[in-house]
Amino acid sequence: MPDAPLLRIDHVSKRFPGVQALDDVSLVVDAGEVRGLVGQNGAGKSTLVKCITGVHPPDSGRIVLGGEPIGTYLPKHAYELGIAVVHQRTQLIPWLSVTENVLLGQLPTFGGAIVRRGEANRIARELLERFRLDIDPETPVARLAPPERQQVAIARALFRRARFLILDEPTASLDAARAARLFELVRDLQREGVGVLYVSHHLEEVFSLADRITVLRDGRVVATRPAAELSQSEVVTLMAGRRLEAAAARSAAPARAAEAAALELDHVSTDVLHDVAFAVHDGEVVGLTGVVGAGGHDVARLLFGLERPLAGEVRLAGERYRPHGPKEAIAAGVFLVPEDPTRDGLVPALSVAHNITLVDLASVSRLGLLSRRLEQAVAGRYVRDLSIAAASVDTPVRNLSGGNQQKVLVAKALAVGARLLVLEEPTQGVDVHATAEIHRIVRGLAEEGRGVLVISTDVRDLLEFVDRVVALRGGRVVEDVAAAETDYARILDLMVGSLQAAA
Amino acid sequence: MANVQLPVRPAEQPPPPAEAPRARVRSRLRNVDVFALWPVAVMLVIVFVTALRSEHYFTVFNFENILSQVSPLGIVTMGQAILLVSAGLDLSVGYNIALSSIVTGLMLEDGYPLWLAIAAGVGAATAVGFANGVLVAQNRAHPFIITLGMSIFLFGLDTQLTGGAPVNDMRGLYTAFGGNLPSYPPFFGLPAVAVPLGAVVVLAYALLRWTPLGRRAYAIGGNEEAAYLSGIPIKRTKIYLYTLMGALVGLTGMVLAGQINEASFNLAQNFELESIACAVIGGTALFGGRGGALRSIQGVALWGVVQNAIVFAGLSSNYQQMALGAIIVIAVMVTRAQR
Repeated sequence: MPDAPLLRIDHVSKRFPGVQALDDVSLVVDAGEVRGLVGQNGAGKSTLVKCITGVHPPDSGRIVLGGEPIGTYLPKHAYELGIAVVHQRTQLIPWLSVTENVLLGQLPTFGGAIVRRGEANRIARELLERFRLDIDPETPVARLAPPERQQVAIARALFRRARFLILDEPTASLDAARAARLFELVRDLQREGVGVLYVSHHLEEVFSLADRITVLRDGRVVATRPAAELSQSEVVTLMAGRRLEAAAARSAAPARAAEAAALELDHVSTDVLHDVAFAVHDGEVVGLTGVVGAGGHDVARLLFGLERPLAGEVRLAGERYRPHGPKEAIAAGVFLVPEDPTRDGLVPALSVAHNITLVDLASVSRLGLLSRRLEQAVAGRYVRDLSIAAASVDTPVRNLSGGNQQKVLVAKALAVGARLLVLEEPTQGVDVHATAEIHRIVRGLAEEGRGVLVISTDVRDLLEFVDRVVALRGGRVVEDVAAAETDYARILDLMVGSLQAAA
Repeated sequence: MANVQLPVRPAEQPPPPAEAPRARVRSRLRNVDVFALWPVAVMLVIVFVTALRSEHYFTVFNFENILSQVSPLGIVTMGQAILLVSAGLDLSVGYNIALSSIVTGLMLEDGYPLWLAIAAGVGAATAVGFANGVLVAQNRAHPFIITLGMSIFLFGLDTQLTGGAPVNDMRGLYTAFGGNLPSYPPFFGLPAVAVPLGAVVVLAYALLRWTPLGRRAYAIGGNEEAAYLSGIPIKRTKIYLYTLMGALVGLTGMVLAGQINEASFNLAQNFELESIACAVIGGTALFGGRGGALRSIQGVALWGVVQNAIVFAGLSSNYQQMALGAIIVIAVMVTRAQR
C-alpha cells in the first residue's frame, strides 16, 4: 500500500438547521481498500457521501484526496478529481446508447467533429466485458433493466478513471446473481488500487466485501474496525448505541385483542409485500418500519388506493376495504400524509387555509360558492390547535418550515374527519423541536380515538411515541410487538442484521 | 404528552378576532402585489406620451375604439387564463372561434332562426372544448400537442365547410354586436361587444375566486399530485374547464362575427397565441397555479393600448407584432424578478 492514503477525511462537520448531520468525522481509506459504511437512517451516511462528492461543502474540516487537500468543489468537479458515485437511482441519459452514456463528453472523434462509432463501441464493449455483461453497446439505456443501468453507470465511472468509487446501496435493485457479479467487480477494482466506499443496509454484503467497517451514529464515527474483528450483532449494537430509556417514557399499550381492529391487513401480498398481516386499533399508534424498499411505502400506497393487493384482504372496521384511488380512501375515512409534503401533499402556491380546506370544499361552501369566512374559521381552528407557525392563514404554504408543512397536512386530514391516519416519514427533515411536537400531535390523535399508522425508516424515532412496532424486511413482517416490550437494537437487528424472527 | 388541544369542541372556540373594517381594508391592500400592476403602469405611460403627441388620442371615441377592438380577444383570454391556472392551455381557440361563426353563419344563410343558429354555433364550439378536455384528461398527454392537433383539424374542417369563401351576412348578430349602446347613462354609448366581455370577466373572476371548481383548478395547476392525493377528481375537473373554454370560444365567435359581420376560417387568426400572451403578460403563470382574471385582463388592456398607440404614432401594423413580442419577453422577466 502507498504511503499517503487515497482519501482522508479530516474532522469534517456539517450542520443543517436544527440538526448536526456530521460531527467531527474523520475517515481514512487506502487505495485498494473496500470500506463498509453503515449506520441507521439519519446517522449521516448520505450527508457524508454528499460532502465527499461536493454536493454539500463541509462547515469545517477538510477532505484530502491522494495527498492533496481539495477545497470547495462542485459535484461536476468530483468526476475530474477521480471521485465517482453510483446511487440507487443512477443518472444516465435514457435516449442515448450505452456507448454514448459511458463515453459521454469523451467520445473518440475524427478531427473533433464526427464520432468514430466503431471505435467508441469497441471501448464500451471492452468495459462491459469486465462485468461479464452481454449488452449491445448501441442499445438505448432506456431499454435496459435497472440493474443493467446501474452497471452501465459503474462502467462510466471506470472509464473516467475513478480512483475512488462510492457505491450507495448498490444492490437495492439487483437480484442475487447480479449482486454476485457486482461483488466480483468490486474485488477486481480493489486489485487495481481503486478505493471503494460501500454504503449499505445489508450487513451480510458489507461483511463479505469490506476490509474495514465504519459505523456512524448521530453524525459521529462510533467505530472503525477490520471486518474480521467484528460480528454482525456487534455492528448492530454499535449502530443502535445503548439507549434503553425510550420504553420507560410511554405507558404500556392496553390489551385490545377483543375489539374489531380499525385497520386490518389479512395476509396481503403485492409485487413487494409477501403475506403481510397486522392490525391497527382505534386509539392506537402503530409504527411500521423497515429499511428503504422493505415495503413500508407499499403499504401506504395500498391503503390509499394507489395499488391493489394481489392476494389477501384489507379490512377497515371489519369491512372489506379496497379503494380505487385516494378519493375513495378519503371517503372511507383514511388519510395519507405523504413522505414529501411539498412534492406530494401540498399545493405550495396556495395558502394555509386553502390547503387545509382543499379536500372537502363543499363543507366550506354556501350555495355552491366558497365562503371566505368559513374557510378562515376552519383553518384558524387547526392553525391554533396544532400550533402551526404561519404569519396568517393566508400565507402560502411554501413559506412554511418542513415541520409546519407536516402539520398543515395533519390539519387537512382532521378537516375531513379521517378516522385512520397514515403518516409516512413524518419527522424526516424536521428539527428536534418540531419532531417532539409531531410526536405529541400523533399521540393526541390516538387519544381522541383515531387509529394512526406511522410508516418510518427511523426506528429510534418511532420507538419514542408508538404503541406497537411492526417491522418489515424484504416485504415480510418480521416483528409485531408492543413497543414497551422491545428495544431499538433488537428491531434494527431484525431489519438489517442476522437476527431471524421467532417463527 | 396527554393534553394536546385537538379539535373536538368547535362550539368552545373563540370567535375569530374582530378586525375594524378599516384595518381589514388596509390588511387586504397590503396583500395586493404592487408589481402585478405593472401593465397598468406601462399603459398609463403610453397613454400619457401618446396624448401629448396627438390631440385626437385622448377622446372617448378612441377609448371606445380600443375597447371594441380588444373585447373578443378579452373573452377568450379569460378562458385561457382559467386553463393556464390549471396548467392547461388551448391552442385550438382560433379555428374553434371560426368554426362557431361558420356554423352560425351558414345556418343564418339557410334561413334558420337566429336563436337556433346561435345555439348550434356555440354548441359546436362547446363540443370541441369537451373533446379537448376528454383527450387531455384521458391521455395525460400535454395539452399543447392535443389542442395543436385539434387546431389543425379544425382548420381543415372550417375551410371545408365554407369552401374558403366567407359568409358575409350575420343578420341579427350584426344588429346585436355591430354597433354601440345608447349614448345616455348607464350605457354611455359603449360598444355593444363590451357587454359580453364585462360579463365574462365577472364570471371568470367569480369562478376562480369563489367556486370549488376554480379552487380545484389552482390546486391541479399548483401540484397535480397533491391534488390527486387530496381526492380531487382530476379528469372531471379538466373536462369541465376545457368545456367551459369551448363555451367561451363559442361566445367569442358570435361576438366577433357579429361585430365585423363576417364568418370565415381566418376570423380569429392568432387568437390562440395572443390570448395566451395577454394572460401571461398580466402575470398568469404559463405552468399553472398562479394568476387570475383581473391580472389577465390587464394584459388584454395593455395589448389594446399598445396596438392603438402604434397606429397613432403612424407606424405600420408590423410594429404591433414586434411590440407584442417584446412585451411578452419583458412580462416573463418581470414575473421572474418578482419571485
